[in-house]
Amino acid sequence: MALIAEKYAEEIEGILKRFPDKKSAVLPLMHLAQQAYGHMSREAMQEVADILEISPTHVLALSGFYSLYYEEPVGKYVLEICNDLACALRGADEFVEMVCHKLGVPVDGTTADGLFTVKTVMCLGACDRAPMLQCNLKFEEHLDEEKFDQLIARLRAEAESGKEEPSVVEKIMAYAKS
Amino acid sequence: MSDLVTVTIDGVEVTVPQGTLVVDAAKMIDNDIPVFCYHPKLKPVGMCRMCLVEIGVPMRDRATGEVLRNEDGSVRLNFGRGLQTACTVVVSDGMVVRTATQPVKDAREAVIEFLLTSHPLDCPICDKGGECPLQNLTMRYGRGESRFDFSNKILLDKHVPLGELIYLDRQRCIQCARCIRFQDEVVDDPVIDFHNRGRRLEIVTLSEPGFDSYWSGNTTDICPVGALTTADFRFGARPWELTSVASVCTHCPVGCNTTLDTRREAIAGGRSVIKRVMPRQNEWVNEIWICDKGRFVHHYADAPTRLKQPLVRKNGQLVEASWDEALDLVAGKLQQHKTAVAGLAGDRLSNEDLYLFQKLFREGLGSNNIDLANRRLAGGDVVAQVGLASGSNLKELGAGDAVLVVATDLHEEAPVWWLRVKQAAERGAVVVVANLRPTRLDKFATHRLHYAPGEALSTIRQLVNLAKVEMETADSDPLAAAADALIKAKNMVVFYGSEGLTYEETDALARLLANLLLVKNGEGHVGRPNNGLIPVWPHSNTQGAWDMGVHPAFAPGYKPVSEPGLRATDIYAGVADGSLKALFVIGADPVGDGLMADRGQLDFLVVQELFMTKTAELADVVLPAQSWAEREGTFTTGERRVQRYYMAIPPIGDSRPDWQILAQINERVGLGKPAFAASLVFNEIAKVVPQYKGMDYRSLARVEKQWPDVGGEDLYYGGTAHENRSGLGQQWACVAESATVERFDVAEQPVIARDGLQLVRVAALYTSGTLIEQSPVLHHRMARPTIQLAHADATALGLADDDRAEVTVNSVTYETAVRVNEQVPAGLVLLSGVPYIAGLTTAQIRKLETAVAQPTGD
Ligand code: SF4
Ligand code: SF4
Ligand code: FES
Ligand code: FES
Repeated sequence: MALIAEKYAEEIEGILKRFPDKKSAVLPLMHLAQQAYGHMSREAMQEVADILEISPTHVLALSGFYSLYYEEPVGKYVLEICNDLACALRGADEFVEMVCHKLGVPVDGTTADGLFTVKTVMCLGACDRAPMLQCNLKFEEHLDEEKFDQLIARLRAEAESGKEEPSVVEKIMAYAKS
Repeated sequence: MSDLVTVTIDGVEVTVPQGTLVVDAAKMIDNDIPVFCYHPKLKPVGMCRMCLVEIGVPMRDRATGEVLRNEDGSVRLNFGRGLQTACTVVVSDGMVVRTATQPVKDAREAVIEFLLTSHPLDCPICDKGGECPLQNLTMRYGRGESRFDFSNKILLDKHVPLGELIYLDRQRCIQCARCIRFQDEVVDDPVIDFHNRGRRLEIVTLSEPGFDSYWSGNTTDICPVGALTTADFRFGARPWELTSVASVCTHCPVGCNTTLDTRREAIAGGRSVIKRVMPRQNEWVNEIWICDKGRFVHHYADAPTRLKQPLVRKNGQLVEASWDEALDLVAGKLQQHKTAVAGLAGDRLSNEDLYLFQKLFREGLGSNNIDLANRRLAGGDVVAQVGLASGSNLKELGAGDAVLVVATDLHEEAPVWWLRVKQAAERGAVVVVANLRPTRLDKFATHRLHYAPGEALSTIRQLVNLAKVEMETADSDPLAAAADALIKAKNMVVFYGSEGLTYEETDALARLLANLLLVKNGEGHVGRPNNGLIPVWPHSNTQGAWDMGVHPAFAPGYKPVSEPGLRATDIYAGVADGSLKALFVIGADPVGDGLMADRGQLDFLVVQELFMTKTAELADVVLPAQSWAEREGTFTTGERRVQRYYMAIPPIGDSRPDWQILAQINERVGLGKPAFAASLVFNEIAKVVPQYKGMDYRSLARVEKQWPDVGGEDLYYGGTAHENRSGLGQQWACVAESATVERFDVAEQPVIARDGLQLVRVAALYTSGTLIEQSPVLHHRMARPTIQLAHADATALGLADDDRAEVTVNSVTYETAVRVNEQVPAGLVLLSGVPYIAGLTTAQIRKLETAVAQPTGD
């Protein structure tokens, strides 16, 4: 398949120009592929590998290493809740339980409307603002039940209105053009 | 500054070259610093921390740079703040290393304890148990009892096929990345990698088929635990039950040194059988690697279809007979047809076999009608003059040297040579490839010369003409630039093969290339170690066949005969037209290979073989021979290294070694008492063939200490490749080493007008053949008939990727897969996975409309 090669031809060119060795562009291209394919599927890995002339196994290795690449389908918003030490001391585990209960999904599950996926992650470096989560690359901090409800309401409204925060891909594209 | 530095390790002084790693320096004085991730053939990474030691360096006065001393006059040392990894630190002058102190012992114990947190320690059922560094190091440095809670162990899959050749046990993996680094750094097949992190880390592959590499078996040798095992040895035997016998691979002209690990088995009726083939270290030939063909093809030796009894045709049927009856009949018939007799040999036979075969014809029957059944590559006589000089080691080629590779795909035809040329390029050697099309060596080449179909010889002729001792500075012409780079090289090695060339053309090619080597005659590129010509022979002992005089025009030792006999092509014609009456075919299947239609008008056909081949089916007498594993002998590699192999398993049925059968026939045709040992035949060879003078089985068995250490019980672990205790072989000296060789005359080859698509048969390592078909594990990797062509050419034929096509070449039709490949030059069709086809041909190519079920290979 050549999904991103068609959809993001210009962006890819911009990204490739930034590196002396094209295989160095693998991470941004994986973001593009993840957006286009919905997740890091085997086809997505193969396409990235083909463009960069590297082994697809190498792309798989990277997607396994970094927690921002999802090898299974995910919702529109991925809520990555930190439950590492500092956050855990501030009640992250209970917070995760509350989130799962409210959304009606287990950890790593996606809501039926396809909007939210809940994940737990290691320290994101915002320990002083625990509990916290990261949603599509944006930090939400000092969380409690009330703040969480507001967040969900905002995201739902956003999804309905069609207006969105800049996505990972938009950030990458800004980078490619800069 | 001197190139040597002196360091003290546990009180012992050692002087080593600059740049040596501490762990290697220690090994040189037999101090085994334990390692897991470090391997002497891989770049250090410092991942496992097993090699932690105390390292002190002399302190210096900041202002003056003077070495500071204690009151007693001894040098003051700075041991830094902690332990350091001996596998990443490079020695420096005055360095002091301590490997036996309490902190070092504590560190080793701690590393082992961590490695074992989730390791199953299932040594009693582990294939590595008995030759496992983790087991050994745990016994030596482990604490005996872990402080980790048993319930903390996580259970991971123990049976993960990485393809059908290699299996992964995730629980046993200690994450040293040796396997991944080997695949990436050494053989450039990065098809396995780590996935996930921490304790969930696992080895994965996405290639199709899984772990798609000709080198995969080597990772099981260097894996320091039982995490990677081969399909055919997994749960097959315990290492300490195995008897190891030195052998040589018989599947390409590299001649990798191997070890056959055998064991007596109840299911084989108490017979010894080969359990696995392992590399045997020979740093001049294969270092510590072998390709998967060499590792997995051996199963034919034990195949149930092996011939076990002599067969004689009676009333139209081949029926079992005694050896005496069969041999009497053969000797009688050959003598009866003395004037119309011919012999065809295969070039996988040993030197002893080939020598006695030609002796039967020349001395016993007075005929020079003897040839290889399928002669593809010419130039043995040229190689005898200007071949790779004795004392060469491709490992020594590097910056300032050059390698030229013409008309061959080394990766498919001689994998270990590909590896060695690739590594020469990485060390800085200039690599020039000249071929019809790109191959896997192109990536490492400094100059790529892709000639048009039919222009191989003219291109090389031009290259030779451009190469002048005093080259003017090279211009932009790629040919001139290549010639310049070659001729300026300190050392030059030239490989040549037969891709897209006829036999006659390869003869001209060999001569042209010899002339290139002779441009700098005198102090030049011949007769000196690491210079000369290497033919990429089609089989493992084609070199030996030339040396032994299995050639209609040359007696043993390249002595021209006064009246040359018939060449193979003439022999096939003679069989058909009746001018030949008796034919002896040994170790070859001309009917199966499409070289001979049937037995024509022969009165008598005798075939000596391992299997009931197509040719054997037509024979009057079939003589069952022993495989290389059942007897001893010698082979000669393309680098002209004569190497010994040894008897590993008992004979199958009533089969006999080829040389012995021939000796017994020779006795019957009046050549005197037969030799009763292969070594005695070799002694005769050493007398008759001047090039082999001075060699005998003892000299071929000579060994010397090699670096790095492998195979021992040491904790500095090079892997399970076997130490070489049975012989490094001897390279015979070519003429140029002792005399001046004149330039060769090269006959102009007729230029053939080439219209339309040109088809060239290209090699694939796993191409179907009598032997490889017997291997149960390689079955799925066999090269299926496939054509590759450029997009425009495919479109013109109405073909697209993944179509199936019918391809007719020289009136043989193949059903093939179609691959559109932009790497293939326009106007060319590459055909692989089919028997050898000489030269360029045209072909009828037709798309197969109906979707024909792909052969599944079952
Ligand atoms: S499989 Fe073996 S060689 Fe590969 S990382 Fe694991 S322990 Fe090391
Ligand atoms: S490279 Fe050649 S000689 Fe070596 S193992 Fe492979 S087939 Fe055998
Ligand atoms: S522990 Fe949660 S952000 Fe650091
Ligand atoms: S860190 Fe030195 S051997 Fe692994």
